[in-house]
Amino acid sequence: MSTAVHLDEITKRFSGVVANDDVDLTVERGTVHALLGENGAGKTTLMNILYGLYEPTEGTVHVDGEPRDFDSPADAIDAGIGMIHQHFMLVDPMTVAENIVLGNEPRKWFGTTVDRERARQEVIDLSNRYGFDVNPDDAIEDVSVGVQQRVEILKALYRGADILILDEPTAVLTPQEVEELFRVFEELTAQGKTIIFISHKLGEAMHAADDITVLRNGKNVGTVKADETSNEELAELMVGREVLLEPKAEPQEPGDEVLAVQHLSAEDNRGIPAVSDVSFDIREGEVFGIAGVDGNGQSQLVEAITGLRTPTEGSISYKGGDITDASRRSRIADGMAYIPEDRHERGLVMDFDLVQNGILGSQHSPTFAADGRINWSDARDHAERIIDEYDVRPPHADADAESFSGGNQQKFIVGREFEREPDLVVATHPTRGVDIGAMEFIHERLLDLRAEGKAVLLISSKLDEVQGLSDRLGVMHDGELMDIVDPRNTTEEEIGLLMAGERPNAAETDAEPPVGDAK
Amino acid sequence: MSAAENAKAVLRRLTAASATERILISFAALIMAVLVGAVIILVSGRITTCQTAATTLFGTGFCYDPVEVYLVLFNGALGEPFLVNSPGILKPLNPNWNPLNFGFALTLKETTLLIFTGLSVAVSFRAGLFNIGTQGQLILGGLATALFSFFVAPLLPSGLVGGLILIPLAIVVGALVGGLYGAIPGALKAYADANEVITTIMLNFIAAQIAFVLVSEFYGNPDSQVVETTPIPDWATLLPVAFPQGGDFSILALAFGLALVVAVWFLLEQTSFGYDLRTSGEQPEAAEYGGVDAKRTTVTSMFLSGALGGMGGAIWVLMVMGKWQAGVPALGFDGITVSILAGNNPFGVVPAALLFGTLKSGSLAVQFGTGVPKQLVGVLRGLIILFVAMPEFFRMLGSTIDLEPDRETVATDGGRLGGDDE
Repeated sequence: MSTAVHLDEITKRFSGVVANDDVDLTVERGTVHALLGENGAGKTTLMNILYGLYEPTEGTVHVDGEPRDFDSPADAIDAGIGMIHQHFMLVDPMTVAENIVLGNEPRKWFGTTVDRERARQEVIDLSNRYGFDVNPDDAIEDVSVGVQQRVEILKALYRGADILILDEPTAVLTPQEVEELFRVFEELTAQGKTIIFISHKLGEAMHAADDITVLRNGKNVGTVKADETSNEELAELMVGREVLLEPKAEPQEPGDEVLAVQHLSAEDNRGIPAVSDVSFDIREGEVFGIAGVDGNGQSQLVEAITGLRTPTEGSISYKGGDITDASRRSRIADGMAYIPEDRHERGLVMDFDLVQNGILGSQHSPTFAADGRINWSDARDHAERIIDEYDVRPPHADADAESFSGGNQQKFIVGREFEREPDLVVATHPTRGVDIGAMEFIHERLLDLRAEGKAVLLISSKLDEVQGLSDRLGVMHDGELMDIVDPRNTTEEEIGLLMAGERPNAAETDAEPPVGDAK
Repeated sequence: MSAAENAKAVLRRLTAASATERILISFAALIMAVLVGAVIILVSGRITTCQTAATTLFGTGFCYDPVEVYLVLFNGALGEPFLVNSPGILKPLNPNWNPLNFGFALTLKETTLLIFTGLSVAVSFRAGLFNIGTQGQLILGGLATALFSFFVAPLLPSGLVGGLILIPLAIVVGALVGGLYGAIPGALKAYADANEVITTIMLNFIAAQIAFVLVSEFYGNPDSQVVETTPIPDWATLLPVAFPQGGDFSILALAFGLALVVAVWFLLEQTSFGYDLRTSGEQPEAAEYGGVDAKRTTVTSMFLSGALGGMGGAIWVLMVMGKWQAGVPALGFDGITVSILAGNNPFGVVPAALLFGTLKSGSLAVQFGTGVPKQLVGVLRGLIILFVAMPEFFRMLGSTIDLEPDRETVATDGGRLGGDDE
């Protein structure tokens, strides 16, 4: 086995901040190598250096045993390296074949015209060789995200890539699509290609990779063989201490109904129906989870519940009263906490410091603003309390929200919302972007709220998270609530099928009442 | 680094500048503007012809002396505290100088008026609303004040008592009319999604024409050839107190303006309403999330902005004119520059307005005291404003556009934007 990539003592600094610190990395030809680490560990930076997007401050890149000095991705592509970013760079109205050859089109008539027929044939040959299931004539906008990803991989292969780098390739996929992707990995490595993929999910790395390199704070803290390690060992490497991986919800009898959603429909910003006829309820001391691939109406459903979107049909009742038309402000005042999906757009005012952000949503509440005048010293105490309890770092209440890392911003939002003493917590991706340590803490706090008899609506695209925390789990696909299942007695595969829009046994599902208690 | 990245880096630095740095930047810009202006003065002085050279450099005669021009400019604005015409670099103090002089009154008159319009613009900008309509709000507010004072004055006892009752009422009327006129584009924006930049500009024309028709056809002064209202009795206007030579400046109006500065600061920074307003201006989505009623805040902010503009009109009528007259000076438009210069900070409005006032009154001194034509003085004024305003303007720009160096690589903090975390 020969070495495909060798990174030799790579250090990368951005204006004083060390992103990669003396990292060595060796990837063998024909293997799948996972680069594992928390957000901010320096994985993407390291791969951008390999792909020529950045020059290392110190250290050398070796490809196929040769030291290389890439000035731009073009050099890296010439050296046989291809990178598939998280956000695909495809032209939506063009066909699969056109996208694959874009920039390197076969030409005819002395290079004056694109030879579409040959392009199409070359794409067919290429996808056959690697066993890809893509139709060259489909428009990108008509195919699924999983297929788009395969088109990106084909694009890299078409340009002659031997080494493929994938940045968090599973983030946008359903469990089935993830399986499909890993099969593609096997096919590619069988034909001698080398794959490096970035991930922060332990299970994926264990499942798909041959070797796993763990980065922490920009340093390589260890390279291990996937079949000689365990989830626990990897988690400890990533975090630097022992971690409780599985959130455990103790069984508990739910109380009165807190939220009831009845036949709710809503449109997205373009006026296209995004939520259709969704009904469910949540009771005190209960976590109701919603699983689904991002973009299947969860955002619009949550916005309708929290008062940021007017539903087109249906009703929402909260603590016994109808709130379908209630304002956002009255819902906040009525004890509805909301961890929003997009912390940069909604959750925080980026140019405000944490003192000001700490009262976002409470700016009219008697706690902070009696008689319309804000008590800034109370607001400061409040912000400092959140910073302290939720371990927001650095602990500077006077720093602008913008200056904090994503994980710390998220911790601050979670703290602010939990400290509202809510009756209902709507938590959208509550652990998005936070490290494993903070994730564990947020999970514990969610379960504490549940134990205190609060109702929790949990939306996450991390299946293990919703599955582990929820008492009941609704699965959304294409705006519909496919089914409400008992997460403890349902397998990941069954949920995955529902996420993909397939009802396994329709007869049984139809027999269930729309507002069901699956217990 | 590419040119675009360089530009972004500079903008980032500018956006992050501290208050002290910003003040230093403004001073540096002022000096740069004076230097560039000096070159322009010299060049113009070379092009034009004159009997005797005003200054001679490197054996070449120039018709205008830049040092003299700038000395006269700033000296004139203060009513000549220095004897500029005496020889030497260090000018002696003028023994007859009195701070309560005509030139300084002119400076403060302009300053006072611009404090009102600057505040008006600042309030709307802070709410994220680009109210270009302060001019229209000022025109109608001023007209309302003039007509109200004219019609109500006969009902009140003349003299101090009447003035004490009528002047505050007249200002309130001006504020109300200006505010309501400002609320129109606010409501159009909130309920019909009409861009406030367009509507406020259009409403400026409408305001000017409505006022013109009202005065020329219905409420004009029958004894006057120009389009103007009948003058308000003197006891109902803001008379120059403390400045014996007049200059249409009342220290009471300035005091009122300064009190408003504090009031606007208090409203923006210390109240729940101010929090709503600033949040809407900074990040509308976050404001919505935080329970801010966007429509109501838009209308209220525009009302407030319009009311401040209307008060500017009221002060113009009561302090400067004693009546309303067609051809209202462009105080509302200058207010935009004042506000940008002030970084939309109410306290910043005071020095920014003072700079404008100084330049305006100093220009008059240059026109009368040197041979420099007024067009060239205008150029010098414009240069100073341009230079001083640009850093603040780019700061505003920098805070509205995304300046992250390169998201893909900001991995040391895990704070990459977007849904990259799953």
